[in-house]
Amino acid sequence: MTAAGVMTAGKGAAPSRIFVPVLIFAPCLLVYLVFFVWPQLSLLAVSAFDRGQVSAAHYIRFFSDEYYWELLGRTLFLGVSVTLITLILGVPVAYVIARMRSRYAALLLVLTTFPLLVSAVVRSFGWMVLFFRDGVVSNLLLALGLIDQPMQLMYTLTGVIIALAQVLLPLMVLTLHGVFKSIDPDLEHAAMSLGAPPWLALWLVTLRLAPGGIIAGSLLVFSLAISAFATPALVGGARANVMATTIYEQTIELLDWPFASALSAILLVFVLLISLLYAKALDRRSAGEAAS
Amino acid sequence: MGLDRVSRRQFVSGLAALGSLPLLPTGAAAAQDFAGRSLISSGFGGSTMDIIQKAVFDPFDKATGARSTQVPMQSAAALARLKSEAGNPQIDMYQFSGGQEDVAKKEGLIQPLTAVSQLDDIPVGLRDPDGSWVAWAVIAEGILYRKDKIKEPPRSYRDFLKPEYKGHIAFPAITNGYGVDFLVMLARAFGGGEDNIEPGFEAMKKIKGETIFKAASDLPSLFGQGDIWIIPYDSGNAFKLQTSGLPVGFATPEEGSPAVNITAVVAKGAKNADVANAAIDYMLRPEAQIEIARQMRWTASNPKTKLPADLAAEVPDVSQLAKLNRALINEQRAQWIERWNREIAR
Repeated sequence: MTAAGVMTAGKGAAPSRIFVPVLIFAPCLLVYLVFFVWPQLSLLAVSAFDRGQVSAAHYIRFFSDEYYWELLGRTLFLGVSVTLITLILGVPVAYVIARMRSRYAALLLVLTTFPLLVSAVVRSFGWMVLFFRDGVVSNLLLALGLIDQPMQLMYTLTGVIIALAQVLLPLMVLTLHGVFKSIDPDLEHAAMSLGAPPWLALWLVTLRLAPGGIIAGSLLVFSLAISAFATPALVGGARANVMATTIYEQTIELLDWPFASALSAILLVFVLLISLLYAKALDRRSAGEAAS
Repeated sequence: MGLDRVSRRQFVSGLAALGSLPLLPTGAAAAQDFAGRSLISSGFGGSTMDIIQKAVFDPFDKATGARSTQVPMQSAAALARLKSEAGNPQIDMYQFSGGQEDVAKKEGLIQPLTAVSQLDDIPVGLRDPDGSWVAWAVIAEGILYRKDKIKEPPRSYRDFLKPEYKGHIAFPAITNGYGVDFLVMLARAFGGGEDNIEPGFEAMKKIKGETIFKAASDLPSLFGQGDIWIIPYDSGNAFKLQTSGLPVGFATPEEGSPAVNITAVVAKGAKNADVANAAIDYMLRPEAQIEIARQMRWTASNPKTKLPADLAAEVPDVSQLAKLNRALINEQRAQWIERWNREIAR
């Protein structure tokens, strides 16, 4: 409806040079304002009130309690660990698929993304079956002689990290694949013809040309990891609380909406901050290398 | 439809087993006509919701011409939904299992039941003195244990501290209603209670290293793959586990089985409040309550319900259940959760 209105308006008025882009953006902007900015702001507003008065009480409660600092720390640790694991596992997969000349390359890429078609809840349930003390992981490690007592990854932060890394790996591979694909293989060949062994060529040429993809993939995985709810709730249980599960608890179980919205605001600010710093650091490094 | 036929047949057999014909016309004469009307209620989800649909709502629809739908949500989420839609409810009727009706009444989110003819038959304590809510079923809590690992059925909540069960115990987090009740019953077992929770925390600290879970959906895995032998939960879930083939027994502790009320309320300003009232009245009928007892082992709240002998042996009577002071618990719950998160889950 909005789009149609905008189009007829554009036809009637003489389209000026500045007016056209504004008109093109208007529907998107409107939707964005109504369905994202406004709810976001009203959510933040809730956190600034305490019993009808403007107050910072909910923020003071958070920052003056080491329990919540620990919660925030655990959440960020979860995000960083998952990002590192997906990066380490994702780079080789994405690189190999991107450089593959076989006609099965496309099929492999589709297979990589296949887990995305299954909901995170279902995949987390799968991990639950594996993680219990009498489950596959514990029994396998016992049989291999790597552990001498049954162990349980269920309801631990380690379990959440492993499960989330698996849930988010396809996103990392997809992002990196696009970037590797766009880097000319001849550059690697040139490096090798000048005497670099393949691993050095990969390090000096390909990875140095891919910071954009690494930033994009890491940010995507990091922000999804620290805001993930289903996997920490199912696999982590009561002991591996993170910000997302605590926000749920405050909203649904305790009906303390102001504190819950303060938690969301704090999470949002930390994500933005870390993302900006990370992007800046990687950018500066690659810029510095290009200059030298 | 075929399903309707099954539930009708089960009803008839239930009545036959009952052998008391005078119960048949209960309320039948007062059947109202709600043709073309609809009723939306919250439901507990999963097989529980399906069983309630077939045992209560489907026959109610058939008798009155209404169309009832249940929307799955857990009690806490249901209360949050009721609160967020205050004044303009999209859901007419709510079902709670965690004492949320108290909060809902206090916050003025529900309206008194005006047309539930059997309300006065329900004992005090299972209905609000002001008629704001009524318990249409009661769940007995107790101790679930693996019969093949624990030969002697557990007798008391103190058994959770037995050294021979170490490493094989699981209990629900305090955000789960059964988790709160476990804490209170531990306190009672060690000389405290709702007004003195200290002994409960003391006892729970001794088993804080054991498995803690959040949702009933973890129960089959805990007993099946988790190497867990003993969990405080309820008779309804014990029955579900037994039906799925796990060797799980249910023991009534000597401190008593805490009772969980399954309540029904009508949202304030509900568009179909009259239909909701009639549906709640239907839920209180003995024939509906027998069906619920048969399929889920939930205790009937209407004393006029006479269970057939085979069922009566497996479902505790409402008079055998220990009543917890829910108002007192609800008051302190937020504080207990804060403390629990720091002292037990960490």
